Amino acid sequence: MVLVINGAYDDSGHADPGHPERPDRVTAAMAGVADLHLGSDLIAVAPYAATRPELARVHDDGYLDELGAFCHEGGGAIDQDTYATSESWAIARHAAGGGLAVIEELQRRDDGVGFIAARPPGHHALADRAMGFCLLNNIAIATAALLSQGERVLIVDWDVHHGNGTQAIFWNQPDVLYVSTHQWPLFPGSGSASEIGGRRAIGGTVNIPLPAGATGDVVRRALDEIAAPIIDEFSPTWVLVSAGFDAHRADPMADLQLTGGDYAAMSQAVSEYAPRPGRLAMFLEGGYDLAALRSSVSAALSSALGLSATIEGTSSGGPGTDNVERVKHERASALETARSIHGEGSTR
Amino acid sequence: MTSVTTIAVGFDGSEDSEIALHWAMRLAGDTGAEVVVVHATGMLERLDTPFAPGEMPPVLATIAQEHGIDSARLHWIVDNGDACSVLLRAVEPPINADLLVVGSRGHGKRAGLLLGSTSLELTQHATRPVVVVPSNVSRH
Repeated sequence: MVLVINGAYDDSGHADPGHPERPDRVTAAMAGVADLHLGSDLIAVAPYAATRPELARVHDDGYLDELGAFCHEGGGAIDQDTYATSESWAIARHAAGGGLAVIEELQRRDDGVGFIAARPPGHHALADRAMGFCLLNNIAIATAALLSQGERVLIVDWDVHHGNGTQAIFWNQPDVLYVSTHQWPLFPGSGSASEIGGRRAIGGTVNIPLPAGATGDVVRRALDEIAAPIIDEFSPTWVLVSAGFDAHRADPMADLQLTGGDYAAMSQAVSEYAPRPGRLAMFLEGGYDLAALRSSVSAALSSALGLSATIEGTSSGGPGTDNVERVKHERASALETARSIHGEGSTR
Repeated sequence: MTSVTTIAVGFDGSEDSEIALHWAMRLAGDTGAEVVVVHATGMLERLDTPFAPGEMPPVLATIAQEHGIDSARLHWIVDNGDACSVLLRAVEPPINADLLVVGSRGHGKRAGLLLGSTSLELTQHATRPVVVVPSNVSRH
């Protein structure tokens, strides 16, 4: 088994004193990788700055121009959550390019699992707007590159926040299936079960909102009962994961109660969705408690690689079991409404 | 002229948002409209929660009283998201705002900055009229 990661890139220049989205996060994630003691099975790939055409598959030209100019002028606060510095433009382009480089390496090897330990994260970034700590949507940029090669991409987003940016970017893209588990209500406020995709991709968005306090058993049941049948039918050629680790019970940004063991279980599930080796890559999104981030990265990658590692146990007993049935009902109702408006032909 | 029955005004505690609030309250005083003050809870606010649902900041009642708006016409909503997304949702049920009012810039924003500008985003995406109140407008 091979773990392909993006090589070290100095991201220390994208930092704002006191802000939880900080360079130490990548250090913690990489410590989680090191804890696996992979030796020669660990392949480091040098990231490159994603090119303008690669970024423009996802982001509007005007936005890219503005973001680049804003950073060139020194940066500052973009909104109440999101900042940029003079170095953020280069660092964000390398985070996006890290994903592209890892995917190219997986294609070349036809083996292994990819992990993109890069920041700033991406899944809140819209085509024309930064938000939620995110400047460029790294996983969307990688997905768009795969789509240009004729691939069908499953995106599983297990960050505790809904990936509104990724959902919006692929809302009408029938070759992308977007599945998100997230706490709700919580920032960014989107991600209800009734959001099922646009007219040309009805059913291509699968949202599984979870109540505060939900434990891993609920997430696993939701993935098994709601997502798995849809994924089977979609039959992806690639699986990309928005791997946020802020649903961990120690994380200060939310109230889910997951453990490292739960991340291992979710990782095993998504690994099984990949059609063959070398077709799974995980992109670091959130995760703000450094110890939890380290152990959760280690647990998730260990599971994806089929290794036996000592990890936290799984969690259970929290609220939300009835939520799974509610999500099924809301989704079914939304699908029925969409089909009545647009017809069966537009439904996956 | 289309009548205005519900005004949604963005509020983040900044001086500019207070100026927008004064403008909205004054309009409500003239038209009899309801005023829904909307606060967007971002990711960082999780770590430091100055505003909570059900706990209307006292300054809102003070400003409302100044413009003759009784408490029955003043509403306080806290919603998850960035300011633009939250205000865009305010035109949908249950709020159904028919006018959105914002200050020219909120906390931490540089004057003239287009990137991340709530007012610019709103004018591009809103399906209802948007009023951007300049910071030099009188409060009274």
